[in-house]
Formats: sequence, structure tokens, C-alpha cells
Amino acid sequence: MKAKPITTVAVRAKRLVTRGESVLARKNIRESLVSVAGLIGRPVRDNDGRDLGKLVDIVVRHGEETYPAVSGLIVKVGARKSFIDGARISKLTKSEIRLSSTKVNLREYTRRPGESLLDADVIDHQIVDVNGLRVVRSADLYLAPLDREIRLVGVDVSFVSFLRRVFPGTIRRRPTPDRVVDWASVASLTDSTGQVRTAGPRSALSQLRPADLADLIEDLVGREQGALIELLDPDLAADVLEEMEDEDLLGLVRGLSADRAAELIVRMEPDESAEVLRDLDEEHRESILSAMAKETAKALRTLVSFDETLAGGVMTTHMVIARETDTVGAALKLLVENRERDISDGVVVVDSKGKLLDHIQMIELVSAKSSALLSTLIGAPLPMAVNIDTPLDEVIEEFSNNRGSSIVIVDESNKPVGRIMADDLVDALVARTGRRGFAQGSGALA
Amino acid sequence: MSDLKKAPSKAPVISHRKIRLAALLAVMGPGIIAGLSDDDPAGITTYSQLGAKYGYRLLWVLVLSTLALILFQDLGARIGVVTRQGLIGLVRQKYGARSGVFSASSLILANIGTMTAEFAGIAAAGQLFGISKYVSVPIGALLVTFLVLRGSFGRVEKVFFLLSAVFLSYILAGFLAHPDWGQALHGMVVPSMPFDHDAIFLATATLGTTLAPWGLAFIQSYAVDKRLTRDDLRLLRVDVWTGSLLTGVIGFFVVVTCAATLNHQGIFSITDASQAAQALEPLAGTLAKELFAIGLIGAALLAASILPLSTAYSVSDLTGRPAALDDHFKEAPLFYGTFAAITIISAGLILLPGAPLITILLWTQVLNAVLLLPLLCYMFGIARDKRLMGEFKASARMQSVYALIIAMVGICVSCMLWFTFH
Repeated sequence: MKAKPITTVAVRAKRLVTRGESVLARKNIRESLVSVAGLIGRPVRDNDGRDLGKLVDIVVRHGEETYPAVSGLIVKVGARKSFIDGARISKLTKSEIRLSSTKVNLREYTRRPGESLLDADVIDHQIVDVNGLRVVRSADLYLAPLDREIRLVGVDVSFVSFLRRVFPGTIRRRPTPDRVVDWASVASLTDSTGQVRTAGPRSALSQLRPADLADLIEDLVGREQGALIELLDPDLAADVLEEMEDEDLLGLVRGLSADRAAELIVRMEPDESAEVLRDLDEEHRESILSAMAKETAKALRTLVSFDETLAGGVMTTHMVIARETDTVGAALKLLVENRERDISDGVVVVDSKGKLLDHIQMIELVSAKSSALLSTLIGAPLPMAVNIDTPLDEVIEEFSNNRGSSIVIVDESNKPVGRIMADDLVDALVARTGRRGFAQGSGALA
Repeated sequence: MSDLKKAPSKAPVISHRKIRLAALLAVMGPGIIAGLSDDDPAGITTYSQLGAKYGYRLLWVLVLSTLALILFQDLGARIGVVTRQGLIGLVRQKYGARSGVFSASSLILANIGTMTAEFAGIAAAGQLFGISKYVSVPIGALLVTFLVLRGSFGRVEKVFFLLSAVFLSYILAGFLAHPDWGQALHGMVVPSMPFDHDAIFLATATLGTTLAPWGLAFIQSYAVDKRLTRDDLRLLRVDVWTGSLLTGVIGFFVVVTCAATLNHQGIFSITDASQAAQALEPLAGTLAKELFAIGLIGAALLAASILPLSTAYSVSDLTGRPAALDDHFKEAPLFYGTFAAITIISAGLILLPGAPLITILLWTQVLNAVLLLPLLCYMFGIARDKRLMGEFKASARMQSVYALIIAMVGICVSCMLWFTFH
């Protein structure tokens, strides 16, 4: 809900996830749309036209298909709510439902995984419009016959359609398909058991940029946030978490299971992981840490213990360390092996005791002979390095004096323990001033 | 992760208490602001009438109202934090389109009316200092609009807090009036009810002005906007209880001020709070009068900022486009549009010569009362909903407490409607 740069709007309009032809474009489908909101409360009749009861809800089954099929009806017969299997529907129109037999076996409905109740779970709930990159409340849903079944094909997101539902009679039932979003480009985040459907939107969602996904998540409410994260693969999800604002991130992590939280947090940059963990309360933090590999948990614990106003509190521990006796070729190989992480700007060179000698830039490595020893490249300018206990203000000063892109953090025996990149510093400054301060353009850092 | 190196663990120890206080201050806001804005000019008027007419005798009504306020503001804040949705959005989601549209539209109407009452308060208090309403009302409207349109969430909240401080003037005025504390205590704990039209009407009005629909909608949306999380709930509870209690305490001081002066001197009937302030002057001194008037302006300004905000949150919520104070105008035209419309319409109603103010205020009171009951029931329903509230679902015992309060409000509202139309 923060200020979004205007430029992204134009980008968004172009970002259409192509998923083949939309069924809503077909004329016969457009003409046979049935409004779910309008149908609720309408009579369900047997094939002789006798009233059996009133429609309470429609159950759909989420499967591999893009458009979920109606799997049953919940009908109020007398004072009881009963379930009628979808296979018995012979005709479904805007104003009534006809069943194919006169005898109906009435049984109670129990929620099953992979199913949603359209009125109770989807209408008026938040959904993600993947094409439009926004979170909306669904005002109505539309059914249409497709591939020999009655399927959910579209979702109406216009406020006018929502208001139509307030009125009685035929106005309520008349479809208004002017702002209908194809169900294929929608991510509905819960089914009736609170479980999440994984088909359909998964691929569309993963084509979005992490920053866009983070914006979407921030627009979602409580449980749906976690649900969206569950739809993403862990690496993408971790990237999305890194893009989120602290308060939202914290709220989200608190809502995840310890295992899932651990899975995502180890995939984040260590400084970001440490920041999240630091903000959690101790019990929660421990439950997440204990769900990680021992070694990883131990390293993170150390990072967490640093005060975030000191260099140690904002540093990342991702770096490539080489000995002065290593060759340039070996150092480059190390860098390539670790290319997944954002450390491609050079290697940290240490002596035989592990003490810091220099930080050698990528450009120097590439322009040197690969058989040359790193020790031959060591020399002025000396690397920017500060002690782990250095207050952040001094780190900032060091940065602005030396105009580098990163700074090496050493412990008291001058061994490198981490680095602070310029972007980490930006994050730290934003956290201190408050993004809101920046957004409002006050710009005062002091 | 393999290249994570050992690092010395030299984490400086920050004192535990310091952290807690900072955390509390960060969470503070929704409860105090929503609570105190219930002590708006209409509220102060009601409390003044209660004290002037019945002295200390009906203070127990205020105690009960405060209790109801504490419980439902607490519930509202909890629903907001757990579901991260505003009340109207939840009503739409859980109870459907009709309930949503009904709640939102009555809230809009009632809020315009209440907002008009706030501007009336500003006009009346301004006149005590010799300022024309054609000056004070536009200035008030501009101030409120400017504050919310130009400020960030943090800044807006700070101004709200500052405005809240104005309420202390009522406590000061209370001491200046030298009330009889013994009788006040007696009136708080020993219920007595004169069975006449005015007493029942005033008792109902006291409950209605303390527990206002827009306050309930506001606290929930505000907790969402402030992005409080479940871990903040304990601290938020401190905030809500403080705010609601303070609301009651200020109400108490208004009642005892008027009881010790107006009632004591035989001035039983007053029509509005500024009249109470004026009547205070010969009895408790010019300072008491001025404190009372300043309190009135501050109260009106605070409520006049909250009311359009509460409406704007609710409208955005209903349309499914939740908005926040940090959004820019372009991102949330509906939110800011609603805010502006409410402010302009109500300021206009006050300045328009010949506008039927008395009728508007009467109907506002009725609408607020009628709206309160379904809103409380919706909140009750949400609190019982395991799928929405999860582990924070209200316990069986709390459910019966909520039901008891709703029944009490139901009786009061029916009484009030009866007396309004008979």
C-alpha cells in the first residue's frame, strides 16, 4: 500500500500472461453465462418441475483443468441443507436448476479438499487478477457449459455488478459481463478446507516479477497472503519476501508454519533472513531455527545476535574468500561456482592465518593472467574494511568517503566475517528514516 | 550458507524495559484515538446534560457504557489485526451484498450527520471566543482535510495524539469545579434510576454516544492500516483499554463538573455543551469556561478528522479496494474522494442558512442507534467464526458477555426509538 512509481503502471498494462484463447471471447459462452449470485436462493426442481428446495451454494472441484467444473449443489430442502451431486443436473439456467430425476438421494455435505463453495468461499472474497496485477473482491461468478460440463469460467469484479446483487428479482440475476475476468487469469486463494489449489494460476503467477508479487501480497488480507506464498516455488517465494516491507513481511512470516518459514528464510540473503528473525519473538524464532539444518541455524543465530545499528547487524555473510596463494583462475572459478548469490563483484583475499589482505575487484581478476597468484594483485587502494562493532553511521561515512560499492567487515582479529553492500545500506537507511518518510519526499536522513 | 563465518557474539544488551516501552509506543494509537473521538461535542453535550439534570446519580450509566466500549473496541481491534480487513469488508464477505451495502450506506449517512454535529460544536465553541462560524467552520474543515491529505500515517497519528491531549482540559475543569467526590463514587457504584422520560432518554443517549458505530468501524480499519500483527495484540490491548478508560474518565469529569456547578445551582436544563461552558463561568471561573471551550474545539477537531476517515475506510472496504493513509491521491481516489465529500457536505450544512440542523441531528442520533445494533451483531458473528478468527475465536464465556452487552444495547435502542417517536 505504499507509493508506487507511476512508471510501473504502463509496464503493467503490457504485462499480459498469454494463456491461449479466453473462453469468454467465444460468443456462445458469452451468451450462456449464468450469474452465481443471481442463482443462489432460486428453486431447484426435479424433472417434472416440482420444487425440491432452494439453492444455497454451488460446489466446484479444482483439478488440473483451467475451468473448475461444478461438482454439486447445496440445496435447502425443508429446514435441512443437503448435497446433490453435480451429475444429476440436467439444466441450469439464470433462474432455476432442473435435475435429471425425480428421486433425489439427500445427504449432508461435508467439505472435501480441493473443493470450494462459490458463495461462501469465493464471492466477495479477495482474488488475485494475475493479468491486471491487482487484488480485487469478486462481485459475481459466471458459470457456462464447456467441455460437456458446467464450469466456472469468469469472475466479475465491477462494483456495478456488486450493487446489482442488492436488488431483488431479475435485476439480480442478469449477467453484466462488461468487466469479467477470465477464470484462467485469476488466482483464488482458498478452497473450502482452507487448503490451496495448486493448478491453474501457478504458472501464471510465477511469471510475475518478485516486486509485483510483493505488492500483490501486501494488498491481500491475512490468510490469503500465506496462501499466495504457498502457490509459489520456494526460490521465487524467498525473492518475494525480500521485496516486501518489514511490517508486512513480519506479519506474513508469523502466519507461516515453522517448516515453511525455515524453508523460505534460508533461501533469502543472510542479512535479510537475520533481520526477519531478529524481529520475531524468541519462541517463534527458535521454532523456525530448529526447523533448519544445524549449521545454517547456528550461523543465522550469530547474525541475529548483532545489533542492527552496528555493522554486524546489516552485513551479509555471502562472500567468496580466497587465499593470497591461490591463483586468479581458482578465484574466478570460485566466483562462478557461487554465481547464484549476489557476490559477483570480486573476491576477499586473506593470508594464511585468515586475516584480511585485500578485496580484489572482478575487473582486476578478469584482466590478470589466470595463472597469476592473487598476492601479485594485492596493493593500493586498500580495501574498505570496518570492524564488526562499528556503528552504522561510521559505516555510512566510510562509504561516502570512498565511493565504493561494498565494504568488508572484519572481526577483532582482522578476519573477514561479512560484507555490507551499498544496497544493504540503502535498506538500512530506509528502515531508519521510514519508507513513509521517503515516500512523502521529506528526504531528511537525520 | 556454507560460507557463513563465525563471528564474535558481542550483541550489546539493550534493557528489556526499554524495548517494551518503545514497542508499546509503536502500537499505541487505534485505541486511544478511536476511544477519545467518542467524546465528541455531541458526547460532551450528553454528559453535560446528564450531570446538570441528575447530578451524580446517573454516573453508573457511564461506567456501564465505558465497559461496553472497552469490550467492543477490544474486539474490533482484534478482528482487524487477525483478519487484516475492515469491518465493512468483512460484513460483505460474511453476510453478503445486502448487509454490506446496508451497513456502508447507513454508516455514510450517519457519519455525515455526526460530522455536521462536530462542525456545530466547532461553531458553538468558536462563538464562545467571539469567532464567527463563517470563520471557524471553514478553518476547521481545511485543517482536517489538509492534515489527512498532506500527512503521512505517522504524522497524522502524531497530530491525533496532540489533539487528544486537549481532553485533559476537562479534567482540569473538573477539579476547578470542586465536586463532591464521595457522592460521585456513590453514583458510580450504586445504580439508581429515576423512571421518567428524560432520565431514560439521557441514559440511552450516553450509551449511544460512547459506543458509536463509526468508532467501531474506525478502530478496525485503523489497526489494519497501521499494519499491526498478532504479536502486537497484547500491547494493542493496553492501548485499547487505556483509550476506552480515558474516554470514560473524561466523561466522568464532564459529568461531575456539571453536577458540582450547574446541578448544584439549580441549572438543570442545557441544550448544548457550549451553553454548559457559558454557565460554568460565574460558578467555576473564566478559566473553567475557557478550558471547557478549548476541550470542545479539540474534541470536535479530533472527531471531525476521524469521521471522514472512518467513512473513507469503509467505502474503500466495501468496494474491495482497500486504501491506506500512505496511498497517494492517484492510487486511492475513492478513499480521498469520500473523505473530501463528507467534509464538504457537513461543513456546507452548517454554513447553509436555514438548514434544518435540529432535524439532521435528531435523525443522526436515530440512525446511529439503529446502525449500532446490527454492527455489534456482525462483530459478534465474526468473533464466533472459527474460519475467520482461528485461534482468536471468542471463548464461550466472552461470547455470553458480548451477547449480554448486545441485549443491553438492544433494550436501550428500543427505548430510545420509543421516546423519539412518542
